[in-house]
Amino acid sequence: MQAVLMKAEQAQDVLQKAVDRMQDLGAEFSDARSQTVRVTGVSSMNGDIRQLVQKSTGGVCLRAWAGGRWGYGTATSFDRDAVVRAAEQAVRNASGERKSDLQLEPATVREHRKADVRIHPDSVDLSEKIAAAQDLDRAQAIDDRIINRVGSYSEEVKTNSLVNSAGSDLSWEEVRTLCRAMSVAADGQRMERYYDGPDSTLGYEVVRDTDLEELGRVTAKEAIETLKADRAPSGNLTVISDPMVSGLLAHEAMGHASEGDEITKKRSFLTGAVGRKVASDIITMYDNGTVHGAHGSVPFDDEGTPSSCTTIIDHGVYRGYMHSLETASQLGTKPTGNGRAENYGKRVWVRMTNTYFGPGEWGRDEIIADTKDGILCDKMVNGMEDPVGGCFEAKCLRGFLIRNGEIVKPLQSFTLTGRSVDILSSADALSKEVILDGGMCGKGIEDWVRVSSGGPYMRARMIVGGGQ
Amino acid sequence: MSDIGYYAEKAMRAAGGYGQSEVYVSEAVINTVYIDDSKISNIETKLDSGMMIRIADGGRQGKASVTLSGETSVQECMAMAESVLRYSPESTEFKGYAQPGQARIVLPDVWDKRVEDITPEDLREMAKMLIDSCPVSIPRAQIRVSTNDCRVINGNGVDCSHRSTLVYGHFTSMTTKDHPGEGMETFHGTHLDIDLPAIGESLARQANNAAASHEFKGSEKLSMILPPGQLGDMMNSSVVAAVNGENVKYGRSLWKDSLGQQVASEQLTIVDDPTVAAPLSCVFDDEGTPTERRVVVEGGVLRSFLRDSFCGDSTGNGMRRSSVEAQGAYERTPVIKALNVTAKPGIYTPEQIIEQTDNGIYVERFAWPEADEMTGRFGLNVRCGYIIRKGEIVDTVNNALLMGNMLDAVRNIELVGNDPREMGVVTVPTMSFSGTELVGN
Repeated sequence: MQAVLMKAEQAQDVLQKAVDRMQDLGAEFSDARSQTVRVTGVSSMNGDIRQLVQKSTGGVCLRAWAGGRWGYGTATSFDRDAVVRAAEQAVRNASGERKSDLQLEPATVREHRKADVRIHPDSVDLSEKIAAAQDLDRAQAIDDRIINRVGSYSEEVKTNSLVNSAGSDLSWEEVRTLCRAMSVAADGQRMERYYDGPDSTLGYEVVRDTDLEELGRVTAKEAIETLKADRAPSGNLTVISDPMVSGLLAHEAMGHASEGDEITKKRSFLTGAVGRKVASDIITMYDNGTVHGAHGSVPFDDEGTPSSCTTIIDHGVYRGYMHSLETASQLGTKPTGNGRAENYGKRVWVRMTNTYFGPGEWGRDEIIADTKDGILCDKMVNGMEDPVGGCFEAKCLRGFLIRNGEIVKPLQSFTLTGRSVDILSSADALSKEVILDGGMCGKGIEDWVRVSSGGPYMRARMIVGGGQ
Repeated sequence: MSDIGYYAEKAMRAAGGYGQSEVYVSEAVINTVYIDDSKISNIETKLDSGMMIRIADGGRQGKASVTLSGETSVQECMAMAESVLRYSPESTEFKGYAQPGQARIVLPDVWDKRVEDITPEDLREMAKMLIDSCPVSIPRAQIRVSTNDCRVINGNGVDCSHRSTLVYGHFTSMTTKDHPGEGMETFHGTHLDIDLPAIGESLARQANNAAASHEFKGSEKLSMILPPGQLGDMMNSSVVAAVNGENVKYGRSLWKDSLGQQVASEQLTIVDDPTVAAPLSCVFDDEGTPTERRVVVEGGVLRSFLRDSFCGDSTGNGMRRSSVEAQGAYERTPVIKALNVTAKPGIYTPEQIIEQTDNGIYVERFAWPEADEMTGRFGLNVRCGYIIRKGEIVDTVNNALLMGNMLDAVRNIELVGNDPREMGVVTVPTMSFSGTELVGN
């Protein structure tokens, strides 16, 4: 641990040397970012510790901008010579035929920030974290039909330092703590699962504030309940998305298509859409990296731009895009703090933070009571964006059939799809309650960053298809 | 570059006092060229090395990993592993790390010197070749080439090294008309024998076909024809998950009690074959257990599960390495992975399969091909598919959901193609299956 702390303290000086070297070699702009990541992971499965690990990884990412393109060099050593060698490689990688004369316009930021947490995970004994995972596991043992129970705890403490040629000198800490229960229930050849648990950019208070016994027991109960589920009906139906599935819609249907790089490439159906009506009047949508405690919040993005709140849709009217340094310059606007990378070894590009729909005026139960025939979603599995076609795919863990304003039976996993604008234009009821749910977002097929997405319960028309 | 042998031996000396101990060290050099909007946007060079130490005292285990940043890294990793061990509860499931064994296969050719010697100029040339050969826009693409060296040592006497190169490409294309169409291609391999002009042509063909597609309306039951690019991930997420020893051990596999039973059509034979060059082919797995050619499904009969040392009686499938990404292997605890699952090809060309299909859809591209790992269920958005009536393509559709269950589908294979293609850890030909349903607006 001591070595990691020492690395962070020494990093700034080494990073400045690397930036100076890149500028000397002809970079028009350069930055150097070091990162150390400490992870503790515990999972207890069926009463036995399945995973108990601590990791300490770190490295330095050097970026040189020249001739309209980036060159990257990465090293896992914090040794000055190794970092400067990687910086020289970054400049070589950026060389070649000039692509454009685009100039980046970074703000100069000098700030050093610790994570705003009540109980830092470092201050909690590992034995308590192990006990939390075991408690969560044990609490799921409520029925012989629960064949597989997992209680897990994980924490991540990330320390970043960044120096750039615009004079920025930054360091910041990110803390993420989460725990999760996952139950698999089986009855003969039928198997179903359910999961739940909090995630955050908060500290260990997340675990201490959670009733682990209740979380585990309810998760197992819901997995058993799902064994009774029928296949979902198929077709263009009325769907009430829960906050997780609403979030998936926000993220997949509109969020990816609002990333600045998709706009500059004209790969998004929202290219040129600012000012256009894209949803019903009740829909407002944000990407907001400043939500206290949300899983996708970051004080600064991986280019050192302070995080911000971008209004993407305002009462049904499309308002704007998320940006990195590069896409902001390309479109003549300000960066929004969305230039993010999975880690020190991965590229920076435009990524979401916390993406969600704003609230409405209904109660959840009022929306259900007002629905003659429809489906209520309960939790998501995953989703896929389609910025080119303007569609999306959202897999739901399960749902409930609604007839004449009442929930009549549970439904197995199913998939939602449709044209994003058609779906959001059909939205006619939103709940007052808005919930954010954390997860990982890949772009294309990799580059996973921590995000959250969410929203209210939302009623709209979508294509539904249930698996067999 | 660091010396992984030096670090591995130094760590093993530190860990060797425990009842069970294991050190895994890996080092990778990764060069990537990115294309955005048909231009080279970024070239990156990464050096990545690190280690994981696992120690055990009876049923208690300590495990930690670090990046190798200098001489203190081994002490740092060992201190973390010992700290974890102190708190670790007794496990009743832990049986110990891998036992040493003799090599059972000869390592295929998985090292390409050209990858080791690659320069930024070479990457630029490759990117230019792709851009020049693709008449439609390439909004996003990457070619990543890596060298990977790793070594695993444990207190039972295991001491194995592995070297391989990895070439991975992911490519997208797009037409720029009012109703744009998209295409996608991937490349998985160990050598720089990537046919970029062919990929460029395919990207253009796919994008133009997708641009001509329209939204599917209604719903119908039909056969599904999946080319290798779509079937590979579908097989990996369903059939390979069903034979995963950990899923079997915990009852999460629907095939858990099916050894020796007919689980699929007689046309399906699957072998896990590390004797053929593929991204994860190796003589010893990442725990040091010897690998071998293993028949998994033979004529539709389930013959074997895949296991690691945690599940016991390891089949040499305990892997840390990824088939697409060389970075960070040392961070991962071994999990069961197929090394090179290969489905036996049939005799039909894809065109013949289409000709013999009465009512079906040939899926050019799903949003993401994936079935549920536990149940095999799927409901997938079709981005571009061809509707087949009486052996002929009559329509090109998009934005529909294709629904079915892969574990049922492999019982209902209609025809098997003669066009196998490597898709990461799965090599499959085109296949057609009955019993799926397409739903549109």
